[in-house]
Amino acid sequence: MSRIGVFVCHCGENISRTVDVEKVAAEAARLPGVSYACDYKYMCSDPGQSLLKKAVAEHGLDGVVVAACSPRMHEKTFRSAAKSAGLNPFLCEMANIREHCSWVHEDREEATAKASDIVAMMVARVKKDKRLVPITVPVTKRALVIGGGIAGIQAALDIADAGHQVVLVEREPSIGGHMAQLSETFPTLDCSQCIMTPRMVDAANHPNITLHTYSEIESVDGYIGNFQITVRKKARSVIEERCTGCGICSAKCPQKKIPNSFDKNLGLRPAIYVPFPQAVPNTPVIDRANCTYFRSGKCGVCQKVCGPGAIDYGQEDSLIVEPVGAIVVATGFELYSISEKPKGSPIKGYGEFGHGTIPDVIDGLTFERLASASGPTGGKILRPSDGKEPKQVVFVQCVGSRAREKGISYCSKICCMYTAKHTMLYRHKVHDGQAYVFFMDARTPGKNYDEFWRRAVEEEEAVYIRGMVSRLYQKGDKVVVMGSDIAVGLQVEIEADLVVLATAVQPRTGADTLAQKLGISYDRYNFYSEAHAKLKPVECATAGIYLAGACQGPKDIPDTVSQASAAAAKVMTLFAKSELEREPIVAKVNERTCVACLYCRKVCPYGAVEEKELRDRQGNLIRVVAYVNPGVCGGCGTCQATCPSKSVELDGYTDEQIMAMIESL
Amino acid sequence: MTKHDLNYSYYPGCSLHASAREYDESTRGLFHALGIGLVEVPDWLCCGATPAHNVDELLSLSLCAKNLALAERVAGDLAVACAACFSRLKATQHHLAESETKRRQVEYAIDGEVSFAKPVKHLLEILATDLGLDRLAAAVRKPLAGLRVACYYGCLLTRPPEVPQLDCVEAPTIMERVIGAAGAATVAWSHRLECCGANFTLSRPGVVLKLSGDILASAKRAGADCLMVACPLCHGNLDIRQKEIEEATGNRFGMPVFYMTQLLALAVGVAPSKLGFDSMIVNPLPLLREKGLV
Repeated sequence: MSRIGVFVCHCGENISRTVDVEKVAAEAARLPGVSYACDYKYMCSDPGQSLLKKAVAEHGLDGVVVAACSPRMHEKTFRSAAKSAGLNPFLCEMANIREHCSWVHEDREEATAKASDIVAMMVARVKKDKRLVPITVPVTKRALVIGGGIAGIQAALDIADAGHQVVLVEREPSIGGHMAQLSETFPTLDCSQCIMTPRMVDAANHPNITLHTYSEIESVDGYIGNFQITVRKKARSVIEERCTGCGICSAKCPQKKIPNSFDKNLGLRPAIYVPFPQAVPNTPVIDRANCTYFRSGKCGVCQKVCGPGAIDYGQEDSLIVEPVGAIVVATGFELYSISEKPKGSPIKGYGEFGHGTIPDVIDGLTFERLASASGPTGGKILRPSDGKEPKQVVFVQCVGSRAREKGISYCSKICCMYTAKHTMLYRHKVHDGQAYVFFMDARTPGKNYDEFWRRAVEEEEAVYIRGMVSRLYQKGDKVVVMGSDIAVGLQVEIEADLVVLATAVQPRTGADTLAQKLGISYDRYNFYSEAHAKLKPVECATAGIYLAGACQGPKDIPDTVSQASAAAAKVMTLFAKSELEREPIVAKVNERTCVACLYCRKVCPYGAVEEKELRDRQGNLIRVVAYVNPGVCGGCGTCQATCPSKSVELDGYTDEQIMAMIESL
Repeated sequence: MTKHDLNYSYYPGCSLHASAREYDESTRGLFHALGIGLVEVPDWLCCGATPAHNVDELLSLSLCAKNLALAERVAGDLAVACAACFSRLKATQHHLAESETKRRQVEYAIDGEVSFAKPVKHLLEILATDLGLDRLAAAVRKPLAGLRVACYYGCLLTRPPEVPQLDCVEAPTIMERVIGAAGAATVAWSHRLECCGANFTLSRPGVVLKLSGDILASAKRAGADCLMVACPLCHGNLDIRQKEIEEATGNRFGMPVFYMTQLLALAVGVAPSKLGFDSMIVNPLPLLREKGLV
């Protein structure tokens, strides 16, 4: 006969508001095999855990059910409490009467009955729980960082400085990300290049960092501590080891008129190019789509002029396999575009702003390139259409952000501050210019942030108009901005020389595809999801994968750097041990009944199923069976549901346990 | 037995029997020429237009619900010409489908069941989608070549976003596509979707003079020969008030304002005498003669 203890938690009022917890405890006490039942206000608190430990000792309990919140929240907490009371931790189970009951029901009587049922089921299950021992796996103390913007660089440097190897993978030909494109940064107006480029150099020169630029993640296999990453190194057409970065190839390339995307297509570049002069590595790449040699077979000028013979037209993509123990995802963001979206797309464009067809309507990042000393205009604010200096500039905040009718309801967080910065940069460069800002709210929570915004309004004389813009249209060489000023309740019209839209921050295109390769979750906008909004902000629900920067949600530089360092710290915590304990909730094959149909191998999402040969003592093959590698098994139970001969079962979720749970109802 | 492969019940609305008679005449002429059947809903009544829903929501919904019920007596989707009627009928279907309470109130008021079965379609939708631009283009006898048209949508044809679902709300192209099929050139211009002032025309004409003046000026700036509309209220403000606007703003426009069906009917070979060009205040005949269309 079992001796089970049941502990019913009030969760403050979260559970007890809807569920009669005392009644649930009283009914649990009457269940066969239950020797002790009680309720308590906060089971997870120190007195609550002590209550559990004391009961285990006093009543000689051999199984525990905590009826409280989701096991995702506190299973670990109560299992370690059970362990310190001398119980095998896997003999402690949680009955979720919060998320699955009190939070979703209103009728007290029905909710109480349901809570009692949930408890009865878990009692039936815990009676058949086995004493499990955690599996230990070795940890490869080598990290992968995906994305070479400020988030990825910061995380890579922190981990590398701690003495661990880091593989840094960047999609573009150079690291640096968006921060390398910015002019000055808020709230201090220090030059972005001056703080960013030295970090880029540090990352490239660090003995512990292996840099793969112009590369993408091809596939991800394995699990925490033991990932196998395949990196696709795209053909650069330039042999990195030979190139000295002299730049003569770019200077002599006859193709010179390709829009430079680093400069938001305001400047031009040759077909063999580095995206910007401070690029790291300073190794050019041939843009094959625009290169005369690749298009017609003629030219070959760069190969002729290259002294070290670094040009290799025949270079192909190569695949590199990197074993790593942890992954930091730092893929960053891109800006929403007001252009027309495909029919049926949940995110809409701005037809009322001309869908991006008015040349002097630009986005914030384009303005950064105009204001940057290394930009296409050398830091002069000149508008794209005719290169004239704009005397009236209208900035529009919340374009796409907080716009449910356009399909994006979130706040992009950085636009209020960078627009204030833009008005200042503009004023510093065009002294007789006037900046106007249309805004909903000025959101400036951050150290020295509100002071910065006030400075834009009070000292730099930007005119802030609270209201939205309804339409932009070209009239002669002006862009007419029609909007409302809700402070005075009037419609306003401004004839602007240049309009700058603070467009929404969105995850990178393809963020979902990468998430699927990594097996991490993402929200409806494709921002990656953290394991817990408050307590696990940098961890993914998938063990061993961490998040840094704007790929998780819109973020400014200080927040991004903080999160990157936090992710690095998590990686270092993981690397502090040479072996890792994993939950022993894995599938086991009954070799006596298995007929090696291997359906389980077909359905296993982790690739954990192998063939195993059973041999007698003389080494003669008896037969073949399936074998589940416990280090790889993710414990999903798909094999168990699939197996036609019922020969594979997940520990803790055996058929017998599930039947017992059903029978208890 | 039906004569045509496309048949519609037709709700003209009050304006088309009065100030916008030429819209009604040209619609019938065009549909006849295109071989599209059109049967007027018997005993239809006013949709309530913009005043009713500002004063009494139940009245506004009931008027439209009654019309929708009457339309059930005639076969075919409901064809609507006036942008305001179209908007109100669609909005009624939308609101009543969303609210059980309102539906019951309206059913009590009209003493009958509310019906949602019949799709309400603007003429533009019928021409662009049901008939199709290819068939429309194939029916053209006299292409409108050389005519530079500013297509004016006004407020109601595409808005509010969740109701008409006719085309992209803020950058529609349906009018341009339809008239383009008849061989006309269309201009890209800024005030396609701005308000003309609508029924402030009686209470605060000054507002109309400013708003409609901006529209005419914008079309002129874009190099248009004429405006094309699909709403009798817009037509009233832009055509009837045009002289007044010219006096008030000191600009000279001389811009004929056509209903889209007038131009299309002309293109498919309906006699100009049947298209009500005489009842337009800004005389369109000099322009049409210049372009060799009459």
